[in-house]
Amino acid sequence: MTLGLVFLAAGILKALDPAEFAHQVQEYGILGARLSAQVAPALIVLELVLAVALLVGVRPRLAGLGAIALLAGFILIEAYGMSIGKTGSCGCFGAYVQRTPGQVIAEDILFAGLAVLALWGLAGWPGMSLQRGAAVLLGTGALSLALVLASPSLPIDPYVTRLAVGRSVGDLALLDKAPQLSEGRHLVALIDVTDPRAVDTATVLNGIVSRPGAPPVLALTPGTEEEKAAFLWTAAPAFETENVDRAVLKRLYRRLPRFFLVESGRVAAIFDGAPPAAEDLLSSEPS
Amino acid sequence: MIRKPATPARHGLFAAALAVLALLPAAPAAAQSITCRPNYDFAVEVEGSFPEGAKFYQSDARGKFFIDVPACTTGLLMDLPSKKIQAIPRNQVKPTNGGVEVPDAAPNGAPAYAFSIDGPVIQFEAEAKKVRILPVLMRPPLVGPIDLAALVADRPEYREGMKAYSPDPTAIARIGKYPKKVQIDAFFATWCSHCKDHMPKFLRVMSDAKNPNIKLNLYGVPKGWTLVAGPWQGRNINNIPTIIVKIDGREITRMGSQPGATPEIELAEIFQAVR
Repeated sequence: MTLGLVFLAAGILKALDPAEFAHQVQEYGILGARLSAQVAPALIVLELVLAVALLVGVRPRLAGLGAIALLAGFILIEAYGMSIGKTGSCGCFGAYVQRTPGQVIAEDILFAGLAVLALWGLAGWPGMSLQRGAAVLLGTGALSLALVLASPSLPIDPYVTRLAVGRSVGDLALLDKAPQLSEGRHLVALIDVTDPRAVDTATVLNGIVSRPGAPPVLALTPGTEEEKAAFLWTAAPAFETENVDRAVLKRLYRRLPRFFLVESGRVAAIFDGAPPAAEDLLSSEPS
Repeated sequence: MIRKPATPARHGLFAAALAVLALLPAAPAAAQSITCRPNYDFAVEVEGSFPEGAKFYQSDARGKFFIDVPACTTGLLMDLPSKKIQAIPRNQVKPTNGGVEVPDAAPNGAPAYAFSIDGPVIQFEAEAKKVRILPVLMRPPLVGPIDLAALVADRPEYREGMKAYSPDPTAIARIGKYPKKVQIDAFFATWCSHCKDHMPKFLRVMSDAKNPNIKLNLYGVPKGWTLVAGPWQGRNINNIPTIIVKIDGREITRMGSQPGATPEIELAEIFQAVR
């Protein structure tokens, strides 16, 4: 039961941001970008199906064995990650719970131990009938897949990211990189500088910056300094661009670009997908 | 609307004015100036080395950057939108508060150079010198034991980062008066962006504290350090930077570079705990 709940929580948290989980899978360097993008959703579905099988008792011993196999796989991958110097979060519970690889291995060993105990305890329990169990698992698989595919479009950003109207920039952990946000009005653009569309976004933002009375624009990107430089040369932004540690910035978005207006150090408005119209940002007095 | 016909006298005056204008020598349009401030995120490589004094400046005008290559007789104004680099006579480059003020266009007849963009790197040839502008993290790394003076001389981003940081004076005073023998081994990398943000703050703290009881050892770590032999091996270093604090010969703790970390506060608290 406990193991089923753990898998359920892990699967749902990953399903909230499948693209981020794919990115985390890719970071292990075992699979390329394309394969990671396919394996990650499949892993989420598998985890959710296994969770339901453990919770409702579909072939309990087989489900227990499946859980042990999955955990053993996770431990091996994590150990490989450590051996190649990977120190970032594993993505086991999505992008919003971050632990070191060592902590993850310890946890997985504990869960695998629980699974072994469960196997012993479940000996002799037949569980749900095969026909009913198959229907439950098929249904769970279909629902999980639907969740993974639909979640990027679901309006759940206010609940799963830290970015919310009224939050201070200190709460968003941005003051270290952007102390200027604590005063005045600023339009902050969260952009992926490696996205080819970032050049078009920069053109729109350049237009905003050129309007008298518009707030200054600050672009924050999870990209590297090299990627930022390439963006600087190709997009010629008329605004400052700062790269921010991905672990810090990722808490503020599921999909990029995202924009937010900061007034006196607090988030005043959030705009998803495209910058706001310049007219909506003009203050009565030119800044 | 009825248009008044032009009189022959008016025609004559207009023609005379045009003739006078045509005879005037072509005067260059008065160039406006732009303010440029140094951007230490980029390095200027000239003929394969990084000369001291070579600087990259970001201007307040969109897509315009000023490049100072001491070996060149002129300053260089890079204009990204018009895809060229223009020579600016040095007598037109005025130092301002920490930066320079330059005309936003070169005088007529000044040499202009083409540049090419290769990902994060801009390259061009000016006065027969090959110049590249690249992110400082792409410079060949400093590896192994490093002297602080050599580090700040070689890496402007560390030197200027140290100047820009204002540590908490109370914490600095506490660190400065700490009586025990302290050895700090700092493992960092000149290719690491976290180190570029954090280490200058930490080094400023060390420099301001001026405590003779604290011995600071700096080690530059190469890329892929887990697979390369060096002083970083066998010390359980998983993250860069790692700052190992030993008091009276015993490792007490390790400091990292969490966002918002204030090294002087952290170090003063460590010393407070080990009295």
